Amino acid sequence: MTEHRIGTQEEWQAERQALLQDEKELTRRGDELARKRRELPWVPVDKDYRFETEAGTRSLADLFDGRSQLLVYHFMFGPSYTAGCPVCSSIADTLAPQAVHLRARDTTLLLASRAPLERLLAYRDRMGWPIEWVSSAGSDFNRDLGFVSTEEELKPFLEGEIPPVVEQMAEAAGTSVAGYVAEGPGLSAYALEDGTVYRTYVTTARGLEPAMAYYGLLDRTARGRHEEGELEHWLRRHDEYAD
Amino acid sequence: MPVPAVGTQEEWLSARKELLDAEKKHSRQGDELARRRRELPWVPIDVEYTFETSDGTKTLADLFDGRSQLLVYHFMFGVGFRVDDENPGCTGCSFVADHFDGVVPHLNGHDVTLVSESIAPLDQLQAYAARMGWQFPWVSSLGSDFRYDFGAAFTEDQQQHGADYNFKHEDHVPAQREGLSTFVLRDGVVHHTYSTYARGVEQLMGTFRFLDVAPLGRNEDPKQPGAWWHRHDEYETLKEARA
Repeated sequence: MTEHRIGTQEEWQAERQALLQDEKELTRRGDELARKRRELPWVPVDKDYRFETEAGTRSLADLFDGRSQLLVYHFMFGPSYTAGCPVCSSIADTLAPQAVHLRARDTTLLLASRAPLERLLAYRDRMGWPIEWVSSAGSDFNRDLGFVSTEEELKPFLEGEIPPVVEQMAEAAGTSVAGYVAEGPGLSAYALEDGTVYRTYVTTARGLEPAMAYYGLLDRTARGRHEEGELEHWLRRHDEYAD
Repeated sequence: MPVPAVGTQEEWLSARKELLDAEKKHSRQGDELARRRRELPWVPIDVEYTFETSDGTKTLADLFDGRSQLLVYHFMFGVGFRVDDENPGCTGCSFVADHFDGVVPHLNGHDVTLVSESIAPLDQLQAYAARMGWQFPWVSSLGSDFRYDFGAAFTEDQQQHGADYNFKHEDHVPAQREGLSTFVLRDGVVHHTYSTYARGVEQLMGTFRFLDVAPLGRNEDPKQPGAWWHRHDEYETLKEARA
């Protein structure tokens, strides 16, 4: 750990107060962005997607489960994976306990992946997540949102130098690099009105950080995320940490 | 339900891209604030605080549990939102705490310990944690000045004459408020690095981040934004009672 400036309570207080003004400003800008999200046009989903669920084959409208809003986390667990992506697993650790509160806001939150349902449910048992997980195997659902890439599309990436973190994650998911990166993570939001499903919002990459609650906490610690330049990602599945 | 314009995929995409630029800017501004948090001076703590824990009486340094950083959530117990003899944990703090168990293994794996603290007998905290199914460490600061010194509890005199909360003077303060304080242990000395209160605590609550991407957003009554919150084991009960 590098040397750090030590101060008095008064010095800390003065600097903390200045920072607070900017934190409040950022919070309010976040509120403003949330308002803009709600102003995006709603796009009717006219494709009849099918999902394998614990209750049998279901349509996208069925997945709302009687509520008016649906949030789908596109969890990277492709057909060639033997275990879920560790990063998506850390996200799901934080999603599961939130589902009950979201239901109280008329919102269903679930996970969707392309691996067969049995494999998803077996992994869910291992991880202990009380959250619905559906398989979109055999549907274009993930592909249409841009969360599945073909071998052709991946060619430039696969022919380049593969970052060690990608190799680490592929190995942890029990698949090849090509198999691993065929899947992409994402979050998509839907509204159901008068029997029509509308897609309202889609995000990926750092847009998923709001679902990675540990980063919000690490951003408030003395050392922050301190992961820059590390060849191996520090994340593990919750049952894989050494202690 | 206020229905936004229905649009084509092309209209949505063009509006979404514009919003993405604003979202990226917001992420980067957040990174900048995280950097500034890490630049705050560290303030050495010379008071010997003690806590009752499931492993006996511990000092603040002990609470680090072998790691270099400590996050303490100031949980309101016996006071707060929708509290009575049978439901002693504040409903808002219970909602916050529902997010903890999912992040604890990841924080611990990254050299950070997360602990909740309340001014209440330990056995009462343990009984409530058992009801809620929580595993995270929860310590009693009953009889200690700890929570008062970190601005999340107020003496009777302060309650009558006002005090600082969230770095601002309030003419009226309740007995307790919510907050998070962070510490670093260096060469055996505990330093205070950061505290946050009020909406600063929203960073710990992924549920809001999810609602912020849902079609209708937080969808709260502006006069009573928390009216929909319940303890996670109360939502179904309420639904049955209404039916």
